[in-house]
Amino acid sequence: MLIYYVLLLVIFNSCIETLDPEGLVDDFESVLVIEATITNELKQHEIRLTRSFKFEENITPLESNAEVKVLDDDGNVIRFLESEPGLYLSEEAFEAQPNKNYRLSITTSDGRNYASDAAQLTQITPINEVIAQRVINNGEDGMGFFVNTFDPTNSSKFYRYEFEETYKIIAPFWRPDDLITLTDDPIDCFVQEVFVGENNERVCYGTNISNTIILTNTSGLEQDNVSQFLVHFINKNNYILTHRYSILVRQFVQSPAAYNFFETLRNLSQSDNIFSQIQPGLLVGNVFSANNENEIVLGYFDVASVSEQRIFFNYTDFFSEEPLPPYVNPCEQFAPPVSLSGTCILANFVRSGTVEFVSENPAPNAEFPGPFLVVTDVCGDCTELGSNVVPPFWID
Amino acid sequence: MSLKKAILYLLLCSVSVLSSQNDIPKISITIDNQPLTEVFKTIESQTEYKLYYIDKWFNGNTISVNYTDIFVDQLLKKVLAQTDINFFIKDNTHIYLTKNNVVYNTLPEDFFSIYKKKDTLQSQTSNLQTEKTAPLFTKKIATNNGSKITTYRIGKENATNLRRTAVLSGKITNVSNGKPISDLSIVIQERQKGTSTGKDGSYKIELPIGTHILTVQGLGYETRNLRVIMYNDGALNLRMQDSAEALDEVVITGNRDRNVEEAITGIIKIEVEQIKTMPLVLGERDILKAALTLPGIANAGEGASGFNVRGGKTDQNLVLLDDGVIYNPTHFFGIFSALNPFSTGSATIYKGSIPAEFGGRLSSVFDLKTKTPNTSEFSGEAAIGPVTSTVVLETPIVKDKSGLLVGGRATYSEWILRSLDNDDLRNSQASFFDIIAKYSHSINENNDIKATGYYSRDAFSITSDSIFAYSNRMASLRWNHKFNEKNRGRLILTNSQYKFNIEFDGKTNTDFDLEYVNNESEFKAEFDYLHSKIHKFKYGLSAKLYEIDPGRVDPLGPDSETAKISIPRERALETALFISDNYKVSDKLRLEAGVRFSLFSALGEGIQRIYEDNGPRNASTFIETRAFDKNEIIKTYGGPEFRISGRYFLSSDLSIKASFNNTFQYVHTLNSNTTVSQTDTYKLSDLNIKPQKANLFSLGIFKNIEGNKYELSFEGYYKTQRNLLDFKVGAQLLLNEQVEAEVLQGDGKAYGVELLLRKNEGRLNGWLSYTYARSFIRLNSEFSEERVNNGDFFPTNYDKPHDFSLVTNYKFTRRFSASANFVYQTGRPATFPLGNFEFNDSDYVFFSDRNSFRIPDFYRLDLSFNVEGTHKIKKFAHSFWNISVYNVLGRNNPYSVFFVTEDGKVKALQSSVFAVPVPTITYNFKF
Repeated sequence: MLIYYVLLLVIFNSCIETLDPEGLVDDFESVLVIEATITNELKQHEIRLTRSFKFEENITPLESNAEVKVLDDDGNVIRFLESEPGLYLSEEAFEAQPNKNYRLSITTSDGRNYASDAAQLTQITPINEVIAQRVINNGEDGMGFFVNTFDPTNSSKFYRYEFEETYKIIAPFWRPDDLITLTDDPIDCFVQEVFVGENNERVCYGTNISNTIILTNTSGLEQDNVSQFLVHFINKNNYILTHRYSILVRQFVQSPAAYNFFETLRNLSQSDNIFSQIQPGLLVGNVFSANNENEIVLGYFDVASVSEQRIFFNYTDFFSEEPLPPYVNPCEQFAPPVSLSGTCILANFVRSGTVEFVSENPAPNAEFPGPFLVVTDVCGDCTELGSNVVPPFWID
Repeated sequence: MSLKKAILYLLLCSVSVLSSQNDIPKISITIDNQPLTEVFKTIESQTEYKLYYIDKWFNGNTISVNYTDIFVDQLLKKVLAQTDINFFIKDNTHIYLTKNNVVYNTLPEDFFSIYKKKDTLQSQTSNLQTEKTAPLFTKKIATNNGSKITTYRIGKENATNLRRTAVLSGKITNVSNGKPISDLSIVIQERQKGTSTGKDGSYKIELPIGTHILTVQGLGYETRNLRVIMYNDGALNLRMQDSAEALDEVVITGNRDRNVEEAITGIIKIEVEQIKTMPLVLGERDILKAALTLPGIANAGEGASGFNVRGGKTDQNLVLLDDGVIYNPTHFFGIFSALNPFSTGSATIYKGSIPAEFGGRLSSVFDLKTKTPNTSEFSGEAAIGPVTSTVVLETPIVKDKSGLLVGGRATYSEWILRSLDNDDLRNSQASFFDIIAKYSHSINENNDIKATGYYSRDAFSITSDSIFAYSNRMASLRWNHKFNEKNRGRLILTNSQYKFNIEFDGKTNTDFDLEYVNNESEFKAEFDYLHSKIHKFKYGLSAKLYEIDPGRVDPLGPDSETAKISIPRERALETALFISDNYKVSDKLRLEAGVRFSLFSALGEGIQRIYEDNGPRNASTFIETRAFDKNEIIKTYGGPEFRISGRYFLSSDLSIKASFNNTFQYVHTLNSNTTVSQTDTYKLSDLNIKPQKANLFSLGIFKNIEGNKYELSFEGYYKTQRNLLDFKVGAQLLLNEQVEAEVLQGDGKAYGVELLLRKNEGRLNGWLSYTYARSFIRLNSEFSEERVNNGDFFPTNYDKPHDFSLVTNYKFTRRFSASANFVYQTGRPATFPLGNFEFNDSDYVFFSDRNSFRIPDFYRLDLSFNVEGTHKIKKFAHSFWNISVYNVLGRNNPYSVFFVTEDGKVKALQSSVFAVPVPTITYNFKF
């Protein structure tokens, strides 16, 4: 479609204008969104209830005070309690059992009932291997993370992946000295250099969680064999690779219906390109209103087997002869004046935490007027980018 | 003369005043009780006119008149009012008086009004009755006027002949270009008997032995009177002269009774002339756009290509140009039609009962015919508009035997874009052209050959790094053969190709070249057997081979990282046998009953994916891929298609018609958009995709009022469809190797009523059409991923309940006319995004149920003013100016509503094609 609009735009300039969707879409009731994935891990499972929101809004409304239950064939009821707004944790740790039907049941605070179709735990197939490899991907040089999996029973077939990457960050301009102000008064221009020693701002660990839908399937193949499937790729110039990097890959074996749901969701959210002609429409999952069949309910209740694997590596393991990737910030040093036209400059930078001390300014001049050389905070304080707590799984 | 009478005359003559005052001089005259001839002498003395008459016509008639500054023609009209004398002014120098002119007294009533424009005065004579004698033209008149009486002796006199009647037959052609003239009437004055010429200009009439006066007439031709003396059966071929007012594309009103007479329902015929004065958009006269103003034919909006006929999809129309299929008859994404307006002769649209010789599409047939080339002299026609220029040239190759027509059209939008201020626009590219050539050769009276070639191409550069192009190519060859009086046949060979490609040459290493091609070749043999007056049979067979290359992507350049994709070719053979009978059951009841057996075989080589039967078709139910060898039959579909319709006369100008029609369609477009998109690909039926089927019931009532001055029709229909193609939510169609897993096939249901009121004559003419129609589809399945909108019927993308069009033209004089169009349509259904939601740590947009909203209604008013050049026959070029304003109200009609993400926010936008009034001047001329 896009091609078309662009063309029309180009040829008949000014013929595209904003439309008031309110005029077309009447005040539409916010819709319940259910995110529930129950796995074969023994843990307190999470169910997240939110509501849809209008385009102009940015905050996801949370659905609180709902009564959330998962029921199984044997009449067992697993109750979920709200641990924080919108997030419901199972009362006790449990693991999904094979060959059992699970159903979700929700009663929201306004008394409406929602339910899901029955879902069963999928085949349990462990990840064989997660491999980190230097590759050229779409012309970019970098690190690729590949998964190999094999299900000899030939019954897994539909795989979804999530990953969590953790990486060591070392602030390049960390100094044991810091700048402080003595008061919070913005007209107090006095700044002092103090020694703080190891302040836990030098080494941190950043973490990212995958936020795209990563899917693959082996249907049509002779064997249920996921081979060299690229889960994630990082350009070699990305600072997160600089020191040490770890990725945890989680593999969910999905039912065909769940796989189809995630795949369609992914298709619908793909940005338009010249090829795309995507059929829009309501994506119906396996959750529904028990009271009103016309009420739209979004989301999915998935019961999936999960398996995970973590690997570590250092940049130099793959790029031994090459310079380290540039830091996330160019970290240019500067020396703000103490005051300018009666306004405190340096002191207020210090108060707001936007600068970090580098050294005393040996020779103040017009370009570097202030008494201290400083850098942007992320260059001297890694806690801006990650946590200074070593993750429990971390191996150096 | 009393004052009252004078006023009456003034009123009656107002027409001639308007049309004649330019050329006709005025005189002042005072005569008191003198012979009428004194008036003529006075005219001769005061003007350059020479009058021709015979004194004895006016024996004893005296008159008194007193006028100052009266037009000569008005004067004559007044003084001759009480006599049986007519007059006719020729070339500002001659005035012929004629007595007892029988030429016009048996003209159809409605003919008067047309003739009035030519010469008002003759229609005023009311005292002429049928006479056995020939008109009393003097010799002098006869040599100057086209209506000279010639005597023809037909057949050999045979003293032993006991027959009382003989058959006169022959063929009538146009003297200037040798083309046969259809729908001329041939009337025997004294017997109130007549016939008309057929399509090929031939006629046949049975006459008593003896002398008869024949009048041959038709709109746009000089009427001819001739005397035939019938001795025995014989032939008389005639050549007719265009009348002075005739332009090439004259609407023949000979088929005046078609509205009520035709046995089949839902047929629309558009002649190019009818749309000549319609307001234009960007100067393009467009026969297909004109079709949209008729009931039952709609499109998705301005700038949308494709038609939705009676609640059908855009891929359900068979568009034929000289027998060959044109897949995408539009330029510029549907804004212009790709048919050259000057080479196109007529369009017949079958939206109800489709004759048995056509098949392969569910909803309609657009049968477009190119004009037959002029075989007697070189001629041409051209138009200069703001966006394109068009030219058509016709030349005889062998005089009176063969001729060639070539036409071309090209845009100079490139130039316009380049001259614009805006950088983006200046660097964009948009060009299109189309060319057509038709050769016609008449070998002898039993054989003729016609060949047509057509090519159109569009190329756009949307962004600086991509070029998008599509083209149509068509070639057809037709051999008409007459075996004998009762049997005729045609052999037709056609080949059509549609192709598009996208070339992406950006800064990154993702450059590619994508190509899609489809190609079809058809052989058809068709025969007519005119068994009797009661039965007319048509039968034949056809075979069509499809070859589709659904998509191929090649990396472009050595650095490209784009993966090579190639989806294997699809092939199929569609064959059909058909027979139909036009059966005249009684004078009142006529049936057109036909049956078509179509058989479709998907052929190898190819691969087919096999899925489990008891599951939704997706990756999880996929079993295996099966390979087929070349020409191995993958799957066969077929069956009988019945085409039955009938007409019953309730009275001579009122009929009812009913029809039942079922159709199969084996080729489908993959298009999730509302409109035809240029990246639509076609998919053949195969193991997984079943043919679409439709049943259409229609019933209509047809009425002609005052001859055929007004035509009124009211039709209703109900249509059921099966296996309509639609798509799963989130389906991705182009270059999808498993497209069958995205396709849903469901039931369709459409119904509607259509009203058309048409005024064919008079200064104000045009039509008013209103359609109320609904169109629904149901996609139901036991599996939720194959179910849409809960498996209930929901409105299709093109369900537009109310559709109203008014097309009018008002002629001020012969040269000046004004036109207005007004169109109103309900906004079409659309699927809207309702909001965002968070899932899996990302924000997603969610959509409504399919088509549960509608975009705003559409309406538009267009106006135009037309100026014809003078109508002198001998002038080198005949010119025609059209000044149009499209969308006078400046209504911002949403073509489409769509959504973009900007700064992380989803924004609703509407696009419209022409949001402001668009003025255009076009200059046309012909020679």
